[in-house]
Amino acid sequence: MAQKSGNDNYNGDKTTGFASPAQDYVENTIDLTDTLELRRPSRYLVRVTGDELDHRGIRHNDIIVADSARAPRAGGVVIACVSGEMLVCEIGQDKRGWYLRPSRALDMPVYLSEHIDASIWAVAVSLVREEL
Amino acid sequence: MPVFGLIDGNSFYCSCERAFKPSIQKKPVVVLSNNDGCSIARTAEAKALGVKMGEPYHVCKERPELSDVVWFSSNYVLYGDLSRRFYLSLAERLPKVEPYSIDEMFIDLSGFDDVAGLCALLRSEVMRVAKIPTCIGWGPTKTLAKLANAIAKKHTELNGLCDLTNEQTRKNWLDRLDIDEVWGLGKQNCAKLHKLGVRTIADFVALPPEHVQKLLSVVGKRLQLELKGQSCLSFADMETNKKSIATTKSFGRVVTQWKEMREVIATYATRAAEKLRAEGLQAGYLSVFIHTNRHSGDPYYSNQRGAVIEPTYDTAVLITESIRLLKPLWKNGYRYYKAGIILNDLSCLSNQSDLFSTYDKEKSGTLMQVLDDINARYGRGTLRPSSTALRPSWGARSAMRSPRYTTHLDEIVKARSW
Repeated sequence: MAQKSGNDNYNGDKTTGFASPAQDYVENTIDLTDTLELRRPSRYLVRVTGDELDHRGIRHNDIIVADSARAPRAGGVVIACVSGEMLVCEIGQDKRGWYLRPSRALDMPVYLSEHIDASIWAVAVSLVREEL
Repeated sequence: MPVFGLIDGNSFYCSCERAFKPSIQKKPVVVLSNNDGCSIARTAEAKALGVKMGEPYHVCKERPELSDVVWFSSNYVLYGDLSRRFYLSLAERLPKVEPYSIDEMFIDLSGFDDVAGLCALLRSEVMRVAKIPTCIGWGPTKTLAKLANAIAKKHTELNGLCDLTNEQTRKNWLDRLDIDEVWGLGKQNCAKLHKLGVRTIADFVALPPEHVQKLLSVVGKRLQLELKGQSCLSFADMETNKKSIATTKSFGRVVTQWKEMREVIATYATRAAEKLRAEGLQAGYLSVFIHTNRHSGDPYYSNQRGAVIEPTYDTAVLITESIRLLKPLWKNGYRYYKAGIILNDLSCLSNQSDLFSTYDKEKSGTLMQVLDDINARYGRGTLRPSSTALRPSWGARSAMRSPRYTTHLDEIVKARSW
Protein backbone atom coordinates (compact mmCIF):
# COMPACT_ATOMS: atom_id res chain seq x y z
CA MET A 1 0.00 0.00 0.00
CA ALA A 2 1.48 3.32 -1.03
CA GLN A 3 1.51 5.68 1.92
CA LYS A 4 2.26 8.86 -0.01
CA SER A 5 0.16 11.87 -0.66
CA GLY A 6 0.55 15.56 -1.33
CA ASN A 7 4.02 16.91 -0.62
CA ASP A 8 5.31 14.29 1.76
CA ASN A 9 6.98 12.23 -0.93
CA TYR A 10 10.40 13.85 -0.58
CA ASN A 11 12.62 11.29 1.09
CA GLY A 12 16.01 12.91 0.64
CA ASP A 13 16.15 11.65 -2.95
CA LYS A 14 14.42 13.73 -5.64
CA THR A 15 16.04 17.15 -5.58
CA THR A 16 15.60 19.87 -8.21
CA GLY A 17 19.09 21.37 -8.23
CA PHE A 18 21.92 19.04 -7.31
CA ALA A 19 21.35 15.30 -7.54
CA SER A 20 21.06 13.80 -4.08
CA PRO A 21 23.87 11.36 -3.25
CA ALA A 22 21.33 9.62 -1.01
CA GLN A 23 18.88 8.73 -3.77
CA ASP A 24 19.98 5.09 -3.97
CA TYR A 25 20.03 4.77 -0.20
CA VAL A 26 16.51 5.79 0.76
CA GLU A 27 14.75 3.52 3.23
CA ASN A 28 11.35 3.48 4.85
CA THR A 29 10.46 5.12 8.14
CA ILE A 30 10.83 2.74 11.07
CA ASP A 31 7.51 1.03 11.62
CA LEU A 32 6.69 0.19 15.23
CA THR A 33 3.87 -2.06 14.04
CA ASP A 34 6.62 -4.39 12.79
CA THR A 35 8.85 -3.90 15.83
CA LEU A 36 6.06 -4.68 18.28
CA GLU A 37 4.64 -7.39 15.93
CA LEU A 38 1.15 -5.95 16.23
CA ARG A 39 -0.15 -7.92 13.22
CA ARG A 40 0.27 -11.25 14.97
CA PRO A 41 -3.11 -12.82 15.73
CA SER A 42 -2.21 -13.10 19.42
CA ARG A 43 -1.23 -9.44 19.96
CA TYR A 44 -3.60 -7.09 21.76
CA LEU A 45 -3.20 -3.56 23.07
CA VAL A 46 -4.37 -2.94 26.63
CA ARG A 47 -4.76 0.41 28.38
CA VAL A 48 -3.57 0.50 32.01
CA THR A 49 -5.64 2.29 34.62
CA GLY A 50 -4.24 3.14 38.05
CA ASP A 51 -0.68 3.43 39.39
CA GLU A 52 -0.39 0.23 41.45
CA LEU A 53 2.42 -1.12 39.21
CA ASP A 54 4.47 2.06 39.40
CA HIS A 55 7.31 0.09 41.02
CA ARG A 56 7.58 -1.87 37.73
CA GLY A 57 7.58 1.34 35.71
CA ILE A 58 4.00 0.78 34.54
CA ARG A 59 1.79 3.82 35.02
CA HIS A 60 -1.78 4.97 34.58
CA ASN A 61 -2.68 5.41 30.88
CA ASP A 62 0.26 3.35 29.57
CA ILE A 63 -0.41 0.94 26.73
CA ILE A 64 0.67 -2.64 27.22
CA VAL A 65 1.32 -4.88 24.21
CA ALA A 66 -0.03 -8.22 25.38
CA ASP A 67 0.39 -11.62 23.74
CA SER A 68 -2.24 -14.28 24.34
CA ALA A 69 -0.13 -17.11 22.90
CA ARG A 70 2.88 -16.47 25.14
CA ALA A 71 3.45 -18.71 28.20
CA PRO A 72 3.77 -16.76 31.47
CA ARG A 73 7.10 -16.46 33.29
CA ALA A 74 7.39 -16.19 37.06
CA GLY A 75 8.06 -12.56 37.91
CA GLY A 76 6.51 -11.33 34.68
CA VAL A 77 3.46 -9.14 34.17
CA VAL A 78 0.14 -10.52 32.89
CA ILE A 79 -3.34 -9.36 31.97
CA ALA A 80 -5.68 -11.52 34.07
CA CYS A 81 -9.44 -11.90 34.40
CA VAL A 82 -10.35 -12.05 38.08
CA SER A 83 -14.01 -12.23 39.17
CA GLY A 84 -15.12 -10.70 35.89
CA GLU A 85 -12.60 -7.86 35.94
CA MET A 86 -9.52 -7.25 33.76
CA LEU A 87 -6.40 -6.68 35.86
CA VAL A 88 -2.73 -6.00 35.14
CA CYS A 89 -0.49 -7.63 37.73
CA GLU A 90 2.66 -9.59 38.44
CA ILE A 91 2.63 -13.36 38.31
CA GLY A 92 4.65 -15.67 40.53
CA GLN A 93 5.13 -19.39 41.06
CA ASP A 94 5.86 -21.43 44.17
CA LYS A 95 5.26 -25.03 45.32
CA ARG A 96 1.51 -24.39 45.45
CA GLY A 97 1.48 -23.29 41.80
CA TRP A 98 0.99 -20.06 39.85
CA TYR A 99 -0.36 -17.04 41.68
CA LEU A 100 -1.17 -13.40 40.96
CA ARG A 101 0.94 -11.20 43.22
CA PRO A 102 -0.76 -8.13 44.66
CA SER A 103 1.10 -4.80 44.79
CA ARG A 104 -0.44 -3.74 48.05
CA ALA A 105 0.52 -5.52 51.29
CA LEU A 106 -3.07 -5.82 52.47
CA ASP A 107 -4.22 -7.88 49.42
CA MET A 108 -3.82 -11.67 49.37
CA PRO A 109 -2.17 -13.44 46.43
CA VAL A 110 -4.65 -15.20 44.11
CA TYR A 111 -3.67 -18.80 43.28
CA LEU A 112 -4.82 -19.93 39.85
CA SER A 113 -6.89 -23.13 39.89
CA GLU A 114 -9.94 -24.73 38.30
CA HIS A 115 -12.07 -23.73 41.27
CA ILE A 116 -11.71 -19.98 41.26
CA ASP A 117 -12.75 -17.33 38.81
CA ALA A 118 -9.27 -16.22 37.74
CA SER A 119 -7.38 -16.86 34.52
CA ILE A 120 -4.56 -15.41 32.46
CA TRP A 121 -5.86 -13.50 29.43
CA ALA A 122 -2.49 -12.54 27.93
CA VAL A 123 1.15 -11.96 28.87
CA ALA A 124 2.58 -8.41 28.77
CA VAL A 125 5.49 -8.19 26.29
CA SER A 126 6.06 -4.48 25.63
CA LEU A 127 5.11 -1.10 27.00
CA VAL A 128 4.15 2.06 25.10
CA ARG A 129 3.86 5.48 26.72
CA GLU A 130 2.57 8.16 24.36
CA GLU A 131 3.44 11.16 26.54
CA LEU A 132 6.48 11.14 28.78
CA MET B 1 -7.86 -40.28 1.42
CA PRO B 2 -8.63 -36.61 2.01
CA VAL B 3 -9.86 -35.43 5.39
CA PHE B 4 -11.90 -32.20 5.44
CA GLY B 5 -12.59 -30.35 8.66
CA LEU B 6 -14.99 -27.56 9.47
CA ILE B 7 -14.28 -25.37 12.48
CA ASP B 8 -16.76 -22.70 13.55
CA GLY B 9 -17.09 -20.24 16.39
CA ASN B 10 -19.80 -20.93 18.97
CA SER B 11 -22.28 -18.01 18.85
CA PHE B 12 -19.41 -16.19 17.20
CA TYR B 13 -20.60 -12.58 17.61
CA CYS B 14 -21.46 -13.15 21.27
CA SER B 15 -18.08 -14.80 21.86
CA CYS B 16 -16.38 -11.74 20.36
CA GLU B 17 -18.24 -9.56 22.87
CA ARG B 18 -17.24 -11.87 25.73
CA ALA B 19 -13.58 -11.89 24.70
CA PHE B 20 -12.99 -8.46 26.20
CA LYS B 21 -15.57 -8.51 28.97
CA PRO B 22 -14.99 -11.37 31.42
CA SER B 23 -17.94 -10.16 33.51
CA ILE B 24 -20.39 -11.54 30.90
CA GLN B 25 -18.65 -14.91 30.53
CA LYS B 26 -21.57 -16.80 32.05
CA LYS B 27 -24.37 -14.33 31.32
CA PRO B 28 -26.94 -14.68 28.52
CA VAL B 29 -25.69 -12.51 25.65
CA VAL B 30 -27.55 -11.47 22.48
CA VAL B 31 -26.23 -9.49 19.50
CA LEU B 32 -28.72 -7.49 17.46
CA SER B 33 -28.86 -6.88 13.72
CA ASN B 34 -27.99 -3.55 12.11
CA ASN B 35 -30.17 -0.84 13.56
CA ASP B 36 -30.75 -2.84 16.76
CA GLY B 37 -33.62 -4.55 14.97
CA CYS B 38 -33.66 -8.19 15.98
CA SER B 39 -31.52 -10.92 17.51
CA ILE B 40 -28.89 -12.44 15.19
CA ALA B 41 -26.64 -14.26 17.67
CA ARG B 42 -27.43 -15.82 21.04
CA THR B 43 -25.37 -17.65 23.61
CA ALA B 44 -26.62 -21.00 24.93
CA GLU B 45 -27.85 -19.19 28.07
CA ALA B 46 -29.92 -16.76 25.98
CA LYS B 47 -31.38 -19.61 23.90
CA ALA B 48 -32.34 -21.39 27.12
CA LEU B 49 -34.25 -18.29 28.24
CA GLY B 50 -36.26 -18.48 25.03
CA VAL B 51 -34.72 -15.72 22.90
CA LYS B 52 -35.47 -16.76 19.31
CA MET B 53 -33.38 -16.09 16.23
CA GLY B 54 -34.67 -12.96 14.49
CA GLU B 55 -36.84 -11.89 17.42
CA PRO B 56 -37.42 -8.10 17.46
CA TYR B 57 -35.53 -6.31 20.22
CA HIS B 58 -38.36 -3.92 21.11
CA VAL B 59 -40.50 -6.96 21.98
CA CYS B 60 -37.75 -8.83 23.87
CA LYS B 61 -36.70 -5.94 26.08
CA GLU B 62 -40.18 -5.83 27.62
CA ARG B 63 -40.14 -9.50 28.66
CA PRO B 64 -39.41 -9.76 32.42
CA GLU B 65 -37.73 -13.19 32.14
CA LEU B 66 -35.11 -11.59 29.85
CA SER B 67 -34.10 -8.86 32.27
CA ASP B 68 -30.67 -10.48 32.82
CA VAL B 69 -29.81 -10.62 29.12
CA VAL B 70 -26.89 -8.45 28.00
CA TRP B 71 -27.75 -6.90 24.61
CA PHE B 72 -25.26 -5.63 22.05
CA SER B 73 -25.57 -3.72 18.81
CA SER B 74 -23.57 -5.45 16.09
CA ASN B 75 -19.92 -4.41 16.04
CA TYR B 76 -18.67 -5.72 12.70
CA VAL B 77 -15.35 -3.92 12.99
CA LEU B 78 -14.57 -6.09 16.01
CA TYR B 79 -16.02 -9.31 14.57
CA GLY B 80 -14.01 -8.86 11.38
CA ASP B 81 -10.77 -8.45 13.30
CA LEU B 82 -11.37 -11.46 15.54
CA SER B 83 -12.24 -13.47 12.42
CA ARG B 84 -8.81 -12.48 11.06
CA ARG B 85 -7.14 -13.70 14.26
CA PHE B 86 -9.19 -16.91 14.15
CA TYR B 87 -8.05 -17.56 10.58
CA LEU B 88 -4.39 -16.72 11.21
CA SER B 89 -4.11 -18.90 14.31
CA LEU B 90 -5.22 -21.84 12.11
CA ALA B 91 -3.14 -20.85 9.09
CA GLU B 92 0.01 -20.90 11.25
CA ARG B 93 -0.52 -24.62 11.85
CA LEU B 94 -2.26 -26.02 8.78
CA PRO B 95 -1.42 -26.25 5.09
CA LYS B 96 -4.86 -25.09 3.93
CA VAL B 97 -7.57 -22.98 5.53
CA GLU B 98 -10.58 -21.77 3.56
CA PRO B 99 -12.64 -19.07 5.29
CA TYR B 100 -16.17 -20.03 4.32
CA SER B 101 -17.87 -17.27 6.29
CA ILE B 102 -16.90 -14.82 9.03
CA ASP B 103 -17.14 -17.57 11.64
CA GLU B 104 -16.49 -20.88 9.89
CA MET B 105 -13.44 -22.23 8.08
CA PHE B 106 -12.84 -25.40 6.15
CA ILE B 107 -9.47 -26.92 7.05
CA ASP B 108 -7.37 -29.57 5.32
CA LEU B 109 -6.61 -32.35 7.80
CA SER B 110 -5.35 -34.88 5.23
CA GLY B 111 -2.22 -36.81 6.12
CA PHE B 112 -2.19 -36.11 9.88
CA ASP B 113 -1.76 -39.17 12.10
CA ASP B 114 -3.77 -38.11 15.11
CA VAL B 115 -6.56 -35.93 13.73
CA ALA B 116 -8.56 -35.93 16.98
CA GLY B 117 -5.49 -34.81 18.94
CA LEU B 118 -4.73 -32.11 16.37
CA CYS B 119 -8.31 -30.81 16.43
CA ALA B 120 -8.32 -30.65 20.23
CA LEU B 121 -5.11 -28.61 19.98
CA LEU B 122 -6.60 -26.30 17.33
CA ARG B 123 -9.64 -25.64 19.52
CA SER B 124 -7.53 -24.67 22.51
CA GLU B 125 -5.25 -22.59 20.29
CA VAL B 126 -8.12 -20.56 18.77
CA MET B 127 -9.51 -20.12 22.27
CA ARG B 128 -6.19 -18.89 23.63
CA VAL B 129 -5.15 -16.67 20.70
CA ALA B 130 -8.44 -15.32 19.33
CA LYS B 131 -10.57 -15.85 22.48
CA ILE B 132 -13.21 -17.77 20.52
CA PRO B 133 -14.68 -21.14 21.66
CA THR B 134 -15.19 -23.45 18.67
CA CYS B 135 -16.44 -26.83 17.48
CA ILE B 136 -14.73 -28.97 14.84
CA GLY B 137 -16.26 -31.69 12.70
CA TRP B 138 -14.34 -33.72 10.16
CA GLY B 139 -14.82 -36.43 7.57
CA PRO B 140 -13.87 -37.57 4.06
CA THR B 141 -15.92 -34.82 2.31
CA LYS B 142 -16.88 -31.19 2.88
CA THR B 143 -20.55 -32.08 3.30
CA LEU B 144 -19.72 -34.66 5.97
CA ALA B 145 -17.39 -32.21 7.72
CA LYS B 146 -20.24 -29.69 7.86
CA LEU B 147 -22.57 -32.36 9.21
CA ALA B 148 -20.00 -33.50 11.79
CA ASN B 149 -19.63 -29.89 12.91
CA ALA B 150 -23.41 -29.59 13.40
CA ILE B 151 -23.35 -32.79 15.49
CA ALA B 152 -20.46 -31.50 17.62
CA LYS B 153 -22.38 -28.29 18.26
CA LYS B 154 -25.58 -30.02 19.27
CA HIS B 155 -24.07 -32.76 21.44
CA THR B 156 -22.04 -31.06 24.14
CA GLU B 157 -20.91 -34.45 25.52
CA LEU B 158 -18.59 -34.71 22.46
CA ASN B 159 -16.43 -31.82 23.81
CA GLY B 160 -16.67 -29.86 20.60
CA LEU B 161 -15.25 -32.59 18.38
CA CYS B 162 -17.00 -35.00 15.98
CA ASP B 163 -15.33 -37.50 13.67
CA LEU B 164 -17.27 -38.94 10.73
CA THR B 165 -14.38 -40.67 8.98
CA ASN B 166 -15.39 -44.11 10.22
CA GLU B 167 -18.12 -45.70 8.08
CA GLN B 168 -19.88 -47.39 10.98
CA THR B 169 -20.00 -44.23 13.10
CA ARG B 170 -21.30 -42.40 10.07
CA LYS B 171 -24.08 -44.92 9.52
CA ASN B 172 -25.22 -44.58 13.13
CA TRP B 173 -25.54 -40.82 12.80
CA LEU B 174 -27.12 -40.79 9.33
CA ASP B 175 -29.86 -43.14 10.57
CA ARG B 176 -30.76 -40.68 13.31
CA LEU B 177 -30.48 -37.34 11.51
CA ASP B 178 -33.18 -35.62 9.51
CA ILE B 179 -32.39 -34.53 5.93
CA ASP B 180 -32.80 -30.86 6.79
CA GLU B 181 -29.46 -31.15 8.63
CA VAL B 182 -27.71 -31.52 5.25
CA TRP B 183 -25.70 -28.49 4.14
CA GLY B 184 -26.92 -27.02 0.86
CA LEU B 185 -30.01 -29.16 0.37
CA GLY B 186 -32.45 -26.28 0.86
CA LYS B 187 -36.01 -26.12 2.15
CA GLN B 188 -37.71 -26.85 -1.19
CA ASN B 189 -35.65 -29.94 -1.87
CA CYS B 190 -36.31 -31.20 1.65
CA ALA B 191 -40.04 -30.76 1.03
CA LYS B 192 -39.76 -32.73 -2.22
CA LEU B 193 -37.96 -35.53 -0.40
CA HIS B 194 -40.40 -35.51 2.52
CA LYS B 195 -43.23 -36.06 0.02
CA LEU B 196 -41.48 -39.23 -1.10
CA GLY B 197 -41.28 -40.40 2.50
CA VAL B 198 -37.56 -39.67 2.75
CA ARG B 199 -36.97 -38.63 6.38
CA THR B 200 -33.45 -39.42 7.50
CA ILE B 201 -30.16 -38.79 5.74
CA ALA B 202 -29.76 -42.56 5.51
CA ASP B 203 -33.02 -42.70 3.51
CA PHE B 204 -31.65 -40.07 1.15
CA VAL B 205 -28.34 -41.87 0.68
CA ALA B 206 -30.21 -45.11 -0.12
CA LEU B 207 -32.16 -43.56 -3.04
CA PRO B 208 -31.04 -44.65 -6.55
CA PRO B 209 -28.61 -41.97 -7.87
CA GLU B 210 -30.45 -41.54 -11.19
CA HIS B 211 -33.63 -40.96 -9.20
CA VAL B 212 -31.91 -38.26 -7.14
CA GLN B 213 -30.54 -36.59 -10.25
CA LYS B 214 -34.00 -36.45 -11.84
CA LEU B 215 -35.52 -35.04 -8.68
CA LEU B 216 -32.82 -32.62 -7.47
CA SER B 217 -30.61 -32.14 -10.54
CA VAL B 218 -26.86 -32.60 -10.50
CA VAL B 219 -26.48 -30.66 -7.24
CA GLY B 220 -28.53 -33.27 -5.38
CA LYS B 221 -26.58 -36.08 -6.96
CA ARG B 222 -23.32 -34.49 -5.86
CA LEU B 223 -24.63 -34.09 -2.31
CA GLN B 224 -25.58 -37.76 -2.22
CA LEU B 225 -22.09 -38.79 -3.33
CA GLU B 226 -20.54 -36.50 -0.73
CA LEU B 227 -22.71 -38.04 2.00
CA LYS B 228 -21.58 -41.49 0.86
CA GLY B 229 -18.00 -40.36 1.45
CA GLN B 230 -16.96 -39.56 -2.14
CA SER B 231 -15.48 -36.07 -2.25
CA CYS B 232 -16.80 -33.84 -5.07
CA LEU B 233 -16.19 -30.42 -3.49
CA SER B 234 -12.57 -29.41 -3.12
CA PHE B 235 -11.07 -26.38 -1.41
CA ALA B 236 -12.20 -23.17 -3.05
CA ASP B 237 -9.85 -20.34 -3.85
CA MET B 238 -10.49 -17.12 -2.03
CA GLU B 239 -10.34 -15.33 -5.40
CA THR B 240 -13.63 -16.70 -6.61
CA ASN B 241 -15.22 -14.23 -8.96
CA LYS B 242 -17.63 -11.98 -7.19
CA LYS B 243 -20.97 -11.59 -8.90
CA SER B 244 -22.03 -8.35 -7.30
CA ILE B 245 -21.13 -5.76 -4.70
CA ALA B 246 -23.89 -4.22 -2.67
CA THR B 247 -24.29 -1.55 -0.03
CA THR B 248 -27.79 -1.76 1.39
CA LYS B 249 -28.82 -0.66 4.83
CA SER B 250 -31.95 0.36 6.67
CA PHE B 251 -31.86 3.78 8.31
CA GLY B 252 -31.81 4.59 11.99
CA ARG B 253 -34.91 6.72 11.43
CA VAL B 254 -37.22 7.27 8.49
CA VAL B 255 -36.03 9.57 5.71
CA THR B 256 -38.63 11.93 4.26
CA GLN B 257 -36.59 14.65 2.52
CA TRP B 258 -35.15 14.40 -0.99
CA LYS B 259 -31.97 16.18 0.16
CA GLU B 260 -31.36 13.46 2.76
CA MET B 261 -32.06 10.60 0.38
CA ARG B 262 -29.60 12.08 -2.10
CA GLU B 263 -27.02 12.13 0.70
CA VAL B 264 -27.82 8.50 1.58
CA ILE B 265 -27.35 7.33 -1.99
CA ALA B 266 -24.15 9.33 -2.45
CA THR B 267 -22.78 7.82 0.78
CA TYR B 268 -23.72 4.27 -0.25
CA ALA B 269 -22.25 4.80 -3.74
CA THR B 270 -19.00 6.02 -2.15
CA ARG B 271 -18.80 2.91 0.02
CA ALA B 272 -19.68 0.57 -2.86
CA ALA B 273 -16.97 2.20 -4.99
CA GLU B 274 -14.44 1.66 -2.19
CA LYS B 275 -15.36 -2.03 -2.02
CA LEU B 276 -15.05 -2.25 -5.80
CA ARG B 277 -11.55 -0.76 -5.83
CA ALA B 278 -10.43 -2.91 -2.90
CA GLU B 279 -11.19 -5.94 -5.10
CA GLY B 280 -9.51 -4.40 -8.14
CA LEU B 281 -12.76 -4.46 -10.10
CA GLN B 282 -14.99 -2.15 -12.07
CA ALA B 283 -18.74 -2.32 -12.55
CA GLY B 284 -20.75 -2.13 -15.77
CA TYR B 285 -24.24 -2.24 -14.29
CA LEU B 286 -25.70 -0.22 -11.44
CA SER B 287 -29.03 -0.46 -9.68
CA VAL B 288 -30.60 1.63 -6.94
CA PHE B 289 -33.60 0.78 -4.77
CA ILE B 290 -35.57 2.55 -2.03
CA HIS B 291 -38.50 1.39 0.03
CA THR B 292 -40.65 2.17 3.05
CA ASN B 293 -41.19 -0.18 6.00
CA ARG B 294 -43.64 -2.94 5.17
CA HIS B 295 -44.30 -3.73 8.84
CA SER B 296 -44.70 -0.29 10.43
CA GLY B 297 -48.15 0.57 9.14
CA ASP B 298 -46.73 3.35 6.93
CA PRO B 299 -48.06 3.47 3.36
CA TYR B 300 -45.97 0.97 1.42
CA TYR B 301 -43.87 2.04 -1.52
CA SER B 302 -40.95 0.21 -3.06
CA ASN B 303 -39.17 0.85 -6.31
CA GLN B 304 -35.88 0.18 -8.05
CA ARG B 305 -34.05 1.05 -11.23
CA GLY B 306 -30.97 -0.27 -12.96
CA ALA B 307 -28.86 0.85 -15.89
CA VAL B 308 -25.90 -0.23 -17.95
CA ILE B 309 -23.03 2.17 -17.28
CA GLU B 310 -19.61 2.61 -18.77
CA PRO B 311 -17.44 0.24 -16.70
CA THR B 312 -16.00 2.28 -13.87
CA TYR B 313 -14.67 2.22 -10.31
CA ASP B 314 -14.75 5.99 -9.94
CA THR B 315 -16.64 7.29 -6.90
CA ALA B 316 -17.69 10.53 -8.61
CA VAL B 317 -19.06 8.72 -11.66
CA LEU B 318 -20.96 6.23 -9.51
CA ILE B 319 -22.45 9.00 -7.37
CA THR B 320 -23.64 10.91 -10.46
CA GLU B 321 -25.14 7.79 -12.04
CA SER B 322 -26.83 6.69 -8.79
CA ILE B 323 -28.46 10.07 -8.24
CA ARG B 324 -29.65 9.99 -11.88
CA LEU B 325 -31.32 6.64 -11.22
CA LEU B 326 -32.69 7.77 -7.86
CA LYS B 327 -34.51 10.85 -9.20
CA PRO B 328 -37.41 9.06 -10.93
CA LEU B 329 -37.75 6.65 -7.97
CA TRP B 330 -38.31 9.42 -5.46
CA LYS B 331 -41.87 10.21 -4.46
CA ASN B 332 -42.60 12.91 -1.91
CA GLY B 333 -44.69 12.10 1.13
CA TYR B 334 -43.42 8.58 1.84
CA ARG B 335 -41.46 7.61 4.95
CA TYR B 336 -38.45 5.78 3.56
CA TYR B 337 -36.82 3.13 5.68
CA LYS B 338 -34.18 1.46 3.53
CA ALA B 339 -32.14 2.08 0.41
CA GLY B 340 -29.39 0.32 -1.43
CA ILE B 341 -26.97 0.27 -4.30
CA ILE B 342 -26.01 -2.88 -6.18
CA LEU B 343 -23.13 -3.10 -8.63
CA ASN B 344 -23.17 -5.90 -11.21
CA ASP B 345 -21.32 -6.92 -14.37
CA LEU B 346 -18.02 -6.77 -12.50
CA SER B 347 -14.79 -7.13 -14.44
CA CYS B 348 -11.09 -6.89 -13.72
CA LEU B 349 -9.38 -3.65 -14.61
CA SER B 350 -6.80 -5.24 -16.85
CA ASN B 351 -8.92 -6.76 -19.60
CA GLN B 352 -10.84 -3.65 -20.60
CA SER B 353 -10.45 -1.57 -23.71
CA ASP B 354 -10.36 2.15 -23.09
CA LEU B 355 -11.14 2.84 -26.71
CA PHE B 356 -14.52 4.41 -26.20
CA SER B 357 -13.98 5.90 -22.80
CA THR B 358 -15.79 9.20 -22.26
CA TYR B 359 -13.62 10.32 -19.38
CA ASP B 360 -9.92 10.31 -18.57
CA LYS B 361 -9.34 6.90 -16.98
CA GLU B 362 -5.78 7.64 -15.98
CA LYS B 363 -6.71 10.80 -14.15
CA SER B 364 -9.61 9.06 -12.47
CA GLY B 365 -7.32 6.21 -11.39
CA THR B 366 -4.77 8.57 -9.89
CA LEU B 367 -7.43 10.54 -8.04
CA MET B 368 -9.07 7.39 -6.62
CA GLN B 369 -5.66 6.05 -5.56
CA VAL B 370 -4.98 9.26 -3.61
CA LEU B 371 -8.46 9.13 -2.06
CA ASP B 372 -8.02 5.51 -0.95
CA ASP B 373 -4.48 6.10 0.34
CA ILE B 374 -5.50 9.03 2.48
CA ASN B 375 -8.50 7.17 3.87
CA ALA B 376 -6.38 4.09 4.57
CA ARG B 377 -3.88 6.23 6.41
CA TYR B 378 -6.08 8.61 8.35
CA GLY B 379 -9.26 6.56 8.69
CA ARG B 380 -12.31 5.97 6.56
CA GLY B 381 -14.15 9.13 5.59
CA THR B 382 -11.18 11.50 6.08
CA LEU B 383 -11.51 12.59 2.46
CA ARG B 384 -14.98 12.25 0.99
CA PRO B 385 -17.22 13.69 -1.70
CA SER B 386 -19.17 16.68 -0.38
CA SER B 387 -22.47 15.07 -1.41
CA THR B 388 -22.01 12.36 1.23
CA ALA B 389 -22.55 12.44 4.98
CA LEU B 390 -19.87 11.53 7.50
CA ARG B 391 -22.01 11.18 10.63
CA PRO B 392 -25.46 11.12 9.18
CA SER B 393 -28.52 11.58 11.35
CA TRP B 394 -30.17 8.85 9.26
CA GLY B 395 -27.37 6.39 10.11
CA ALA B 396 -28.15 3.05 11.71
CA ARG B 397 -28.96 3.02 15.41
CA SER B 398 -26.36 1.16 17.39
CA ALA B 399 -27.00 2.40 20.89
CA MET B 400 -25.42 -0.66 22.52
CA ARG B 401 -22.29 -1.11 20.44
CA SER B 402 -19.23 -2.25 22.36
CA PRO B 403 -15.86 -0.54 21.84
CA ARG B 404 -13.84 -1.45 18.72
CA TYR B 405 -11.26 -2.97 21.06
CA THR B 406 -8.69 -4.04 18.47
CA THR B 407 -8.78 -1.38 15.77
CA HIS B 408 -9.11 2.00 17.54
CA LEU B 409 -6.46 3.13 20.00
CA ASP B 410 -8.90 5.21 22.03
CA GLU B 411 -11.19 2.18 22.42
CA ILE B 412 -8.72 -0.54 23.50
CA VAL B 413 -9.58 -2.73 26.46
CA LYS B 414 -8.79 -1.31 29.90
CA ALA B 415 -7.17 -3.26 32.71
CA ARG B 416 -6.75 -2.05 36.29
CA SER B 417 -3.29 -2.36 37.82
CA TRP B 418 -3.46 -4.47 40.94
